[in-house]
Amino acid sequence: MILRLRPGTPDAKVQALRDRCEREGLRTVLSPESARPVFAVVDKAPAALAAELRADPSVEELIQPQGDWRLVHRSFRERPTTVKIGGVRVGGGEVVVIAGPCSVEGRELVLEVAQLVRRAGAQLLRGGAFKPRTSPYSFQGFGVEGLRQLKDAGAAVGLPVVSEIMDASNVPAFVDHAIDCLQIGARNMQNFTLLKAVATAGRPVLLKRGLAATVEEWLYSAEYLAHYGCADVVLCERGIRTFETATRNTLDLTILPLLREWTHLPILVDPAHAAGIARIIPPLSRAAIAAGADGVAVEVHPRPEEARSDGPQALLPAELTALVADARIMAAVTGRSFHPPPAAACS
Amino acid sequence: MEPALRHQLSALDRALLALLNERARLLAGVAGDDPGRAPAVDDLLRRHAGPFEPAAIRAVFAAVDRGCRKP
Repeated sequence: MILRLRPGTPDAKVQALRDRCEREGLRTVLSPESARPVFAVVDKAPAALAAELRADPSVEELIQPQGDWRLVHRSFRERPTTVKIGGVRVGGGEVVVIAGPCSVEGRELVLEVAQLVRRAGAQLLRGGAFKPRTSPYSFQGFGVEGLRQLKDAGAAVGLPVVSEIMDASNVPAFVDHAIDCLQIGARNMQNFTLLKAVATAGRPVLLKRGLAATVEEWLYSAEYLAHYGCADVVLCERGIRTFETATRNTLDLTILPLLREWTHLPILVDPAHAAGIARIIPPLSRAAIAAGADGVAVEVHPRPEEARSDGPQALLPAELTALVADARIMAAVTGRSFHPPPAAACS
Repeated sequence: MEPALRHQLSALDRALLALLNERARLLAGVAGDDPGRAPAVDDLLRRHAGPFEPAAIRAVFAAVDRGCRKP
């Protein structure tokens, strides 16, 4: 359950309420919320205790979440969370575009893509160094060397970088190479060992939805990250597997307004992996932002036919420029604004 | 005026204002006049099919340009 106390409740009173719970053997977690004290009781509380707490004059609201997530529950924060990746704010009424090659394919190419991403007006550079490929014969990525090339390209153009981590043992490499945001891919959404390890990295995490995961399962994975130390989680819808074969996956925009009610976390949409077809990514991106997404993540390549992975879903540079312009328009007409480009230097 | 029509006009006005502000934000760090601006407006007018009056469009964009400029 989540207890939202009245604004101005003294710290001593907050502690007394938490102590009351902990005497029953229940763990509590205090929200970083500054507008009012909020804390979650992460273990199941007996009905009698819940009734006692609800009756306390300091308790304005006691919420029994429908699901078992607490720290990522909407009620745990006063407003939707803003996650800072490098100097870029994700969430909080600004729309962002993450773009880059599917795979880091070499130093020169990733720099070329970084430059075109910067020129197009996107705010974050993505690129895969460790690639989860369906076939063992497909390009598996350059590994740590790819991280180095991605970070160097991002630094050269002043864009923070996002890259997927597949193995807990690689956390130090991501930290050492100052990767600004660690991505948990769809296939690893429920790799709980990886979630626990990544949560301790001290970096924001972009958590993609598993291709066959329910929203509840996705939020439990986010709760793992939050529980094990990462408060800066960004959700990313990337399509789910359905009976439909016309597209690679089915982009589930239906859940965006519901997610807004269920969690305070920022939400991005990756229309590229859902569609698998570059030409339908622009309308899907517009739809995602119209439905409330805090931004979109797309892939771009100067010569998609030469890409070593996912070429058919890579935008051309001019298409990325048009998509960014669309994102700006959609942000404005949905009452938000487009995040300004980051300063030339980043972490 | 019908309330529904008033509501639709208000919504369009809010969208127009939001787009104007976004345009001003985009130009916030840009100094000086854009020599490509007049041809760009001419191009818009060539593609324009109405019903908004072409002369009014030119006036509107002139006002937009003034509004986006730093004071």
